[in-house]
Amino acid sequence: MESGQESRIENTSEVQTVDESETLADSAGAAVAPVLEARSLSKRYDEVDAVVGLDLRVGPSEIYCLLGPNGAGKTTTIHLFLGFLEPSSGSAHVMGLDVAEEPLKSKTHLAYVPEQVMLYRNLSGLENLAYFAALGGKESLPTDRLTEILGEAGLQADAVHSRVSAYSKGMRQKVGIAIAIAKEAGALLLDEPTSGLDPEASNEFSELLEQLKDRGVAVLMATHDLFRAKETGTRVGIMRHGRLVAEMTTDEIGHADLERIYLEHMHD
Amino acid sequence: MQTKTIKTILLNEWRLLAADRTLRIVLPLFIVLFAYALANGMAWVRFQEHTVQVVREGNVQRTEGLERELAAIKNGAEPSSPFRDPRNANVMGGRRGARSVALDPGPLTALAVGQSDLLPYYYDVSIYTNETTFLQNGEVENPLNLMVGRFDLAFVAIYLLPLLVLAMGFNVLSGEREQGTLALTLSQPVSARRFVTAKLAFRAMLVLAAAIGVSLIGILISGGFGSSGPLGRILLWCAALTVYALFWFALTAWVNSLGRSSSWNATVLVGAWLVLVVVLPAAINIAAGLLHPLPSRVEMITAQREASNDAVNRRSELLARYLEDHPELTGGDATDEPSRAALAWAATDAVNQRLEEVSERHRSGRDEQNELIRRYRFLSPALLVQEMLIDAAGTGDSRFARFQSQVRAYAGQWQSFFVPAILAGEQMSADVLPTLPAFNFVDESLGDVGQRATVPLSALIILVGLVGAGAWVGLGKVRGAG
Repeated sequence: MESGQESRIENTSEVQTVDESETLADSAGAAVAPVLEARSLSKRYDEVDAVVGLDLRVGPSEIYCLLGPNGAGKTTTIHLFLGFLEPSSGSAHVMGLDVAEEPLKSKTHLAYVPEQVMLYRNLSGLENLAYFAALGGKESLPTDRLTEILGEAGLQADAVHSRVSAYSKGMRQKVGIAIAIAKEAGALLLDEPTSGLDPEASNEFSELLEQLKDRGVAVLMATHDLFRAKETGTRVGIMRHGRLVAEMTTDEIGHADLERIYLEHMHD
Repeated sequence: MQTKTIKTILLNEWRLLAADRTLRIVLPLFIVLFAYALANGMAWVRFQEHTVQVVREGNVQRTEGLERELAAIKNGAEPSSPFRDPRNANVMGGRRGARSVALDPGPLTALAVGQSDLLPYYYDVSIYTNETTFLQNGEVENPLNLMVGRFDLAFVAIYLLPLLVLAMGFNVLSGEREQGTLALTLSQPVSARRFVTAKLAFRAMLVLAAAIGVSLIGILISGGFGSSGPLGRILLWCAALTVYALFWFALTAWVNSLGRSSSWNATVLVGAWLVLVVVLPAAINIAAGLLHPLPSRVEMITAQREASNDAVNRRSELLARYLEDHPELTGGDATDEPSRAALAWAATDAVNQRLEEVSERHRSGRDEQNELIRRYRFLSPALLVQEMLIDAAGTGDSRFARFQSQVRAYAGQWQSFFVPAILAGEQMSADVLPTLPAFNFVDESLGDVGQRATVPLSALIILVGLVGAGAWVGLGKVRGAG
């Protein structure tokens, strides 16, 4: 967000026009140090602003859902937290670490589940988990524990040793979540994780997120799924044209309110 | 943390390669190629050793034949022919008593045949040895072998090893991106630079283990470890192979860092192989031939014939001139009627001088060609590594030039021994045979080889450094999977 520019941030029942320093994010993160924090974060590609002056804080045990249409800047935001992109201005922080300055250290606190969890097809789910967990710093986890984690993530026991080439998308997503669980990261970044999953798999996925939330994990999830955002998220932010145009806590709104607010912003 | 990360990636590479059917086929195929190339090189060494043995046995047989005939003549027998009378110095020092000198195969010839099937490795030294002797190779060789070189380990290393490296590395990063695993990987605390380096390091270890392993087995089987000074040569061989392979691995890393597709990488890398390994060396050779053409062998033979005819017609005049030039050979009395042998020698010397002019042009043209190739070899890592490999094997130009130079000196000693006797019309006896000049080849020292290797090895290391730096910078820019 450009300096001095006002943003229109809504809460549950009324539309507020406030200065960026007074956003809901500030109040949410005031008591506890944020795990994920964006400070005036911007990313510009040639002539296109992908993310503009984003201020965002996600604390422990929070599930923050980023809503918005394609091209709104949700994935770019996640990639900025991952250090996949260099911010044009502003900064992204993980556990207080500036991602641009300490990319590897900040990643020790992050787990990431992309829209399509792609694994090594010739290896089994267990082998993939062992590899990515070790890469994430958990190289000493015994096979029993890894198998247990796959079970926690919902992967059927008979699939643990099968090659990933035989896995469905849902099974791969579960391995992705298992990698996140094994890493015991403080923050989880999810990019459209339930896209293409059947309702049952989506529900299982939401339950897993709840468990992670209960363990104190801060979750930032980009999604199109308003229903899931309302059900799973603790807070919801709506992005459009790279800007965070509305932010609200899910406890205080209904499904219909969220849908209405979302559509209002999409038709502005 | 870094060591653990690298260990994790290496372990995973092992799992991936073990599960990959393509590489399970390609790697053994290359080991078979290595083994075949080694067998081919060893066959050549056996042939060369046999030839050298036959040549040396010929010396013994000729000497024994002369001893027998001289003893018989001493006991009253007549020589088989007045023209083959071994008592004549021009016969004993000529073809009947010629000494064959041979160069033993280089310590690692089984690995790199090099110039040993192109350049002569034995000569018959007599008073008639002249420059034409050094331009002829007594072996009849398959012209295709001479043109493209033998399929030996050096050939596999120079031409095919890069293709194995490219096959194992062209998609080291792009493949991860295309199959979608790069995003998950780079979301872990590992940089693209370390990830690619570890992956390529594992593949490099496999390739080098295969190449160096087969080389060492070859050296062991061919008895290279038993010859003099092999350790330094083996180290040079291994160092050249390693640096050359690293060049190609660095190139694959660089191309991968550009962020293009695997098919684009493959096209560019194969193009680079074609240019650096095939086109540039061929172009430099062609340029050397065009810019510094050598006199043809036909010209040499024609000059020899013309000089011979002329010399025969002017033998008396030539002898007088020769004795004027070499008064020390006349014993202070050049007034005696010259013998037939002396006249023949004078003619021979005149022919040799005429040939010297043509051979000098040949030598200088060849030197200029070599100089041009030496100057432009830095453009092609293949030329640099070829130079090192065949030099390490003892089959390079330098060792043959050294042999030829010592043979030339030995031929001079032989002539110095016999020509005064020819001019003085002295009779030879069996007592002379043990006193004849002997040829002892003084092989090049390891220091000589090391000194020659310094420049190409340094150049290759610099090339690896430059390409590696490009890859390092490029990979440093790879942050995400996009």
